[in-house]
Amino acid sequence: MTAAAVVSPVDDEAVGESGRARSIAGHVVLTLLSVACVFPIYWLYATSLRAPEDVYSLSVLPWPLSLENYADAFAKTDMVGMLVNTTVMAVLTALGQLLVALLAAYAFAAWRFRFQKLLYLMFVGTWLVPFQVTMLPNYVLLSRLDLLDTLAGVIIPTLCSAMGVLLLRQHLMGFPKELLDAARMDGRSSWGILWTVVVPTLRPVLAALGILLAITAWNEYFWPALVLRRGNDVVQLGLRSFMGTEGNDWGPLMATAGLTCLPVFLLYLVLQRHIVNAFVRSGLK
Amino acid sequence: MTTAGAFVEVELVRPRVVAAGPAARPVWWRRLLRALPPYLYLTPALVLLVVWTYRPLAQTFQLSFHSWNLLPTSPITEVGFDNYTRLLDTPDLGAALWRTLVVILGMLPFTLVIPVLVGLLSRRVRGRAGAVYRAMVFAPMLVAPVAGAAVWQWLLDPTAGVVDKVVGSPINWLHEAGPAQIAIIVITGWHIVGFAVLVVSAGLTGINPDYAAAAGVDGASRAQVTRWITLPLLSPTMAFLVLMTVLLSAQWTFPLIDTLTQGGPSGSTTNIYYLLWDYGFHSYDAGLGAAAGVLFFVGFVVLASGLVLLSDRLSHHDD
Repeated sequence: MTAAAVVSPVDDEAVGESGRARSIAGHVVLTLLSVACVFPIYWLYATSLRAPEDVYSLSVLPWPLSLENYADAFAKTDMVGMLVNTTVMAVLTALGQLLVALLAAYAFAAWRFRFQKLLYLMFVGTWLVPFQVTMLPNYVLLSRLDLLDTLAGVIIPTLCSAMGVLLLRQHLMGFPKELLDAARMDGRSSWGILWTVVVPTLRPVLAALGILLAITAWNEYFWPALVLRRGNDVVQLGLRSFMGTEGNDWGPLMATAGLTCLPVFLLYLVLQRHIVNAFVRSGLK
Repeated sequence: MTTAGAFVEVELVRPRVVAAGPAARPVWWRRLLRALPPYLYLTPALVLLVVWTYRPLAQTFQLSFHSWNLLPTSPITEVGFDNYTRLLDTPDLGAALWRTLVVILGMLPFTLVIPVLVGLLSRRVRGRAGAVYRAMVFAPMLVAPVAGAAVWQWLLDPTAGVVDKVVGSPINWLHEAGPAQIAIIVITGWHIVGFAVLVVSAGLTGINPDYAAAAGVDGASRAQVTRWITLPLLSPTMAFLVLMTVLLSAQWTFPLIDTLTQGGPSGSTTNIYYLLWDYGFHSYDAGLGAAAGVLFFVGFVVLASGLVLLSDRLSHHDD
């Protein structure tokens, strides 16, 4: 915000006509991009809310509104069960990833130890290992552990989020050392310090990261598709099987897709700024 | 860097050890105890990392010299470099690499060109309007890839889809080779463009405005300021976006390819990731899949380190 004020000498020297034109150009560009980005989402919900005989209509507003497609979607798939499963999966994944990442980040930030650099690089290095390169051995291991077709098989292999570790480490590095030292002087154990000093201070960051991780887990397709071979236990897979079998039944398909995205969008409406910041700060998963 | 804080402590203690003689074991014990906590905190993450990332990486390497059809009962036989020669003999790999390159190049407009242009043009849009734009542009990022695939399948439907109605010609987007590749790129771009725009605008806000102001005082035009000050200072952000595009593009396209085209029509959207998947889980040729994975991983590492070195050299840091 202050940047906007200070930049004035250059930007506003010729203010008035050209400055306003520039601002209008900005609005035009952003409007175009926004419409392009939002239109498919709008069309998804518009189609899903049309009456079955109007599905092919091109009118911009879906009218008369009808929930028949949704009723159809609920009748054809076990939507409720899938939503519950997916919620459980996403929440457990996010909580587990948060805990594992918090402990690891705490180690990196609060101590100096042998092999620290090397161990840190091991986390960074995961960016270079594409999922598709490790999927075969992981699949075999899961089948040996008898975890195929279970939610545990989906969750456990993803529990170490390198992104979470790196992000939390970065935040913890900026944590005032005096605070940690003071707590140590008080004779508190490192475990006690973690939960009474670090976690309370870090709460906003943990919340943002947790939401980000939960959304990512919710939207994950590849790994669940591999592990849950037969079942349609999570919404992404249910949606895919719907696409395969009834590709042209657009109304119910859009209703299912709409329901798949709905929880994430509701979360987004409430926590918009935090979610955007969490994504941008994290780079990308 | 790697010398532990604990070692200072040990040096202080040592004289007492010498004096106490037989008490050496407790001191050794205390030393271990003091050095232990960071490793304990790291253990869960490290175990997971080793079990689910580095062990399979090593195993893929090993598997690439064997032949196996994924059945637990069937034997795994050693075949030397057979998988590699087989891989290099098929035209699949080269074609898939080429298509991966096409996808990466096709993604750059969405991850670099549009975001930088929009970022530069919309620097003045702030406040509430800015927040609304940001929220809308970012929304596709939150759409699950499968749901995105479903909507776009509907939008691109040759008989009733909006896109063909607007274009005015019945292109069967997902069942013709060229259009299918374009569709995959555009849908992926749609998912990611908002994210890239936000990264660029975050980068732009991070640039110290004093430079532009100083150049303005010296009589630089706006275009000159953009070309010689803003863009160079933005180069770390742009390098990050390019690196991200190169490393992740093909991965982003995967769920779309799997749900929309299954690599077809006639292989025209099979990029390297889909090929790996195909070898492993459709052809049940684990060795061939592993060999392709190894080649790909090595190429990936070389490419990524090259890019990091390059971006370090090209980036102008604002120190």
